[in-house]
Amino acid sequence: MTKMEEERLRAIEAKIKGLRREAEELLALAEGIEAIRRNAERILASVKVLELNVCDPLSLED
Amino acid sequence: MDRLQEPIRRWQMRESPYWNPILETMPEEKLRRLQLEKFKRIVRWAYDRSPFYRRLYREAGLEPEDIKTFEDIRKVPKVDKDKLRESQQRGPFPYGDILAVPLEEVVEFRQTSGTTGVPVYQADTWADWEWWSECWAYILYAQGYRSTDRVFIPFGYNVFVAFWAGHYAAEKIGCEVVPGGVLDTEARVLKMKELRCTAFMATPTYVLGMAATAKEKLGFDPRDLGIKRITCAGEPGASIPTTKRRMEEAWGCPVYDHAGATEIGAWSYECTHQPGGLHVNEAFFLVEIEDLETGEIIEEPGRAGKMVITAFDRLAKPCIRFDSKDIIKWADHRCECGRTFRVIDGGVIGRADDITKVKGVLLAPTAIEEVVRAFPELSDEFEVIVSKRGDLDDILLKVELRPGLEAKKEELVERLKRELRLKTNLGYRIEVHPYGTLPRYEVKARRFKDLRKK
Repeated sequence: MTKMEEERLRAIEAKIKGLRREAEELLALAEGIEAIRRNAERILASVKVLELNVCDPLSLED
Repeated sequence: MDRLQEPIRRWQMRESPYWNPILETMPEEKLRRLQLEKFKRIVRWAYDRSPFYRRLYREAGLEPEDIKTFEDIRKVPKVDKDKLRESQQRGPFPYGDILAVPLEEVVEFRQTSGTTGVPVYQADTWADWEWWSECWAYILYAQGYRSTDRVFIPFGYNVFVAFWAGHYAAEKIGCEVVPGGVLDTEARVLKMKELRCTAFMATPTYVLGMAATAKEKLGFDPRDLGIKRITCAGEPGASIPTTKRRMEEAWGCPVYDHAGATEIGAWSYECTHQPGGLHVNEAFFLVEIEDLETGEIIEEPGRAGKMVITAFDRLAKPCIRFDSKDIIKWADHRCECGRTFRVIDGGVIGRADDITKVKGVLLAPTAIEEVVRAFPELSDEFEVIVSKRGDLDDILLKVELRPGLEAKKEELVERLKRELRLKTNLGYRIEVHPYGTLPRYEVKARRFKDLRKK
């Protein structure tokens, strides 16, 4: 992997982590509003797939 | 954009051939480390949340932190369908104490067909369901599906998982999906024609059945529909060279195989390079091959054994070291597609519970299929019935002769017997039936019947 590719992947990873943080915060604010809670949970399920695709492999040390 | 301009669009877009190059081309050493880490993670998850797994591991004296190396994985107790059924006897209904999430988090129900006993009920959370369709996205993308495809899915959308996740994966890739649910075969073929569909998914039996319907009942050549790719699942036919050839000739396009299971997930796929087998998605699954007699793990290519499989990321009902009874072997070559995911040679060769001793010889039904489908004089349908005649095992093979070939019947039967003996080392009684008289199947065909077991 070139340095540029690695930098791009690290940037992607940071965005994914940010998505998780944002969606979890949204979920915490959603009490009593099912339309937000359920849709935030769906977002988190998609974030999980992004983590499987990107964050898991990047978590391995070279 | 016209959906037929796909090659031009691909060239313009310089698309990657991989759904996820990060995982699909990962160096093998790194892939193994990823597998070990993910294996540890799913064992910890199951141990902490599933009473079934905690009990199983405690009885074996195993704690999650005992797993440090690949060799330690072998110490983890296996599960099989009987154990899953046993768990179903306990609460929560209907999944049993294997469940690793609160019941209210389950959003999808599916079940196995129950052909080998009581059905196994499968629970999935929405995150699991996203994972299922992601597994299928790897499959379809590797088989050339793109947003330019209009995909027809001719199956009865119901409690069996079949092509459900294929449907969602095709949507995820950006394909236009046409659900061909409650239609009969003629209506499905006509709908594909009407909408100029470019791809479809079905069992090999149904792929052949649809082609026969187009030709014999609707009066047109299925090759004229312009189908560009077909994905098969549910039966091993698309990895049996003679059956694959029949399907590809009938439709005039490549036919790709995929193997998956309700309790496991969509764990393998053939790519457009058609390497003579299936890539295992080794980023999402751990496949181990176990010697049928000694239980030893087989690492070398070419030696067949039973698959023991782990799904790393399935959370509601974890699948850890599941004895699938599928017979597979590692290929001795890498695929030219560049994926580092290993290939199993010839796909799923058979099932440990189908491979049976007849007259003292091990017989795999797929071997019979390979011979029968090599005879163009025979239709796509056949049946094998193993029974006892007195004390002796008897194999009856029922085949159908295509119309107008009756004069060749005797010569054909002799050739068929000879080929079967060469391939399987066994003698057969052959019954030749008139064309169109053997049972037709829409989903999984049950062509092999062993009456000795009753």
